[in-house]
Amino acid sequence: MTRSNSFKTQAAATLRRFPFLPALAMLALLLILNGIAEPNSLTVRALKGVISTYLALVFLSVAQTFVVYTGDIDLSVGAILSFVNVSIVVIMSQLGSAPHQVLIACLAGILIGALCGLLNGFVVAGLRMQAIVATFATSILISGLALWVLPVAGLPAPSLFWKIYGGRSYGIPNVFFFITVLIFVLAVIAKTRLVTRLLAVGNGQLTAYQTGLAVTKIRIAGYVVCGIFSSFAAICITGDTASGDPLVGGAMTMSSVAAVVLGGTALSGGVGSAFGSAIGALIIGLISSLVFYAGTPSEWQNLAQGATILIVLMLGVLASRRINQ
Amino acid sequence: MARLKLQKICKYYGATTALASGDLQLDPGEINVLIGANGSGKSTLCKVVAGSVRPDGGQFELDGNDIRLNDPQEAREHGICLFYQELSLSGSLSIAENICLYDLPVRSGALVDTSRMTETAQSYIDKFASVVGEGFAHDTPVNKLRPDQKQLVEIMKTLASEARILIFDEPTSALDRSQVECFFSILRELKQEGRSIIFISHRMDEIFEIADRITVIRDGTTVSSHPVGETNQETVIADMIGEHPKATEKKAETTAQKGQVTTRYLDVENLSGNKLKQVTFSLGKGEILGLGGLHGQGQSALLRTLFGAEKRQSGTITLDGKSLRSGNPRAAIRNGLSYVSGDRVRDGVISERPILENVSPIHFIKEGKLFAFPQTLGQVVIPALKVLNTKYAHLNNSINSLSGGNQQKVVIARWLTNPPDILLLDDPTKGIDLSAKTELFALVRKLADDGMAIILYSSEDAELLAHSDRILVFNNGSITRELVGEDKNRFNLYQAAYSGAE
Repeated sequence: MTRSNSFKTQAAATLRRFPFLPALAMLALLLILNGIAEPNSLTVRALKGVISTYLALVFLSVAQTFVVYTGDIDLSVGAILSFVNVSIVVIMSQLGSAPHQVLIACLAGILIGALCGLLNGFVVAGLRMQAIVATFATSILISGLALWVLPVAGLPAPSLFWKIYGGRSYGIPNVFFFITVLIFVLAVIAKTRLVTRLLAVGNGQLTAYQTGLAVTKIRIAGYVVCGIFSSFAAICITGDTASGDPLVGGAMTMSSVAAVVLGGTALSGGVGSAFGSAIGALIIGLISSLVFYAGTPSEWQNLAQGATILIVLMLGVLASRRINQ
Repeated sequence: MARLKLQKICKYYGATTALASGDLQLDPGEINVLIGANGSGKSTLCKVVAGSVRPDGGQFELDGNDIRLNDPQEAREHGICLFYQELSLSGSLSIAENICLYDLPVRSGALVDTSRMTETAQSYIDKFASVVGEGFAHDTPVNKLRPDQKQLVEIMKTLASEARILIFDEPTSALDRSQVECFFSILRELKQEGRSIIFISHRMDEIFEIADRITVIRDGTTVSSHPVGETNQETVIADMIGEHPKATEKKAETTAQKGQVTTRYLDVENLSGNKLKQVTFSLGKGEILGLGGLHGQGQSALLRTLFGAEKRQSGTITLDGKSLRSGNPRAAIRNGLSYVSGDRVRDGVISERPILENVSPIHFIKEGKLFAFPQTLGQVVIPALKVLNTKYAHLNNSINSLSGGNQQKVVIARWLTNPPDILLLDDPTKGIDLSAKTELFALVRKLADDGMAIILYSSEDAELLAHSDRILVFNNGSITRELVGEDKNRFNLYQAAYSGAE
């Protein structure tokens, strides 16, 4: 009795330190299921395919997390992704495709993402509008800008771009390096003062204000970081699709929110981890590949995918509830 | 020269005046106790000093200079820090993070320096090491703590500001005696260092123990401010209520002579559960049974278990000859039990909803009604509120528009719509002003005289001694002593509470 209790408190403590553990277990389970459905799905080549396709969503979900930390939400991440995608493709087509010019285009893209985040932060935290409505409005606005920059999809990105993204170094796919760097960066970011402050604001804006924290500035910072990570996602999608498309990100916004929740972050704010969101995004990727490998007829694929996401969400919620009781 | 001088500070929220003319003077190395009824403006005045409420007028002088604070951050920069009555803690963050949140130590520019943070936090935790209780480590998240432990974290957080001016707005409401004593010894050290302290409390004995100066506020106006040597309890209370104390304050000692239970109504045998060990007692009709002892020794657990809000592991509860099966609050209500908690926000108030809705739920459970018509409900609700002299503008106003004392009256009125047989009071006067307390206990006595059986737990010993017929002293989950008749005095209560058993 006491033994199982002490085990429970220990499990709860571990879960508090690493809120992404249930998601990690789910990811492992999905990998195994994928392997059973189609043994070839576990080859380096197949995994590279999954990661290349979903790395953009991984970054986008990480971006969303920094806003969700404070209890806010950003429904414009998909639009920011599209806007940055078309912007860098257009800049490169104007400047040229030498390495330093590609780098300039990417930096410009990151700046654009940061500015979009600043706009969101100003509207939500500065003007105190409802995050869900305000960022929905800015998402339409930013999509409009993307359509203005590139009205029709299809402008190709320079070959340097997708060759790096899809290529290999020392025989290992480059996307594996990207994801390793991301994990390292997230581990460092999790230790920053900003994240602790974001979580404090998520726990209660009034208490954070009374503590003497600059709540408005902190929330705006969250949106700016979100914008920057959204532009990283845009760079990934440019590498994956090798072209500009003003509507590419639209459908990804809701997936990013789902990934955040799958990763163990509370939408009410205050608890969570960006690493968990990255895993959540990969879970969504593996679910759709599982549905495909399991040979689901195409007309049933959406239904199967949705149901599986629901089941995974439920398992995650049940697991953490059991432990925290 | 005074370190802090406030003159004629006022603050209005729409038509209501929170503060009409607040004056306050604070010298270096002084503890100034602020006292006044609930809703008299103490908390507002403190928040003005701490920058979280901007005054609508008046003079604010710090070290002789006129200043204006726009937010708590600026107040911190001026060396002012406030302990918030409603606490300003982040639930999912650890104790250490909460203590250091305003000024998180960093290394390499932006990363939190965990070891330095832990070290700083630990130095403040160590000051309270002997009284924090179990499950209190620097990495424990705050939402896993008991209310008294949370209050200690807020105290540590305030101390960690190392500010010149510290304001404590009811820091001791959830603390037990040993915790209060530990805190007071730290306050005295701070005073020696020359810090200035503003202290708010409703407990008279505490106030005279710690104060250098007592400032009384009534209806948003500072009415008096005297050094502690030049005033006494009666004067302070007279200043608070604005009239001289009536000599007709009779104690209910006569009924206390009854001593033994004549008609056994509720029988509890060997009740065990979370925090409860083999509790046995009985209660008669018309009796007020007090539960005493240090804070958190099982008094609340007993009341919550009787009410079905906490699980019973073993033991029997017999009500009027019928054995009660372990159930839930809904079943307990049907059996004639009722429960009023001092933790209004958690257990009582239906936040943001109208007063009408806050009074009616029990009526609905007991009458099994399907529809609600405001007119007919009003006939039930208004008399219940009237019995308690509840002050409210309109039944449709949100309950949050009322002061703490009036909110509690609304919660009690909820039970009076359909009077219960047994009333369980779990520290019902926590954070309520003196006049509301007096009214409340007068009502409790009247209910007992009408035949209701009442169990009262209060964290204030004076209250317990004055208003209960018999006292069971709790220690570590079990009853260690029963105080009846002549034995029922402060000395015996303290002795039983502190030494454990007899």
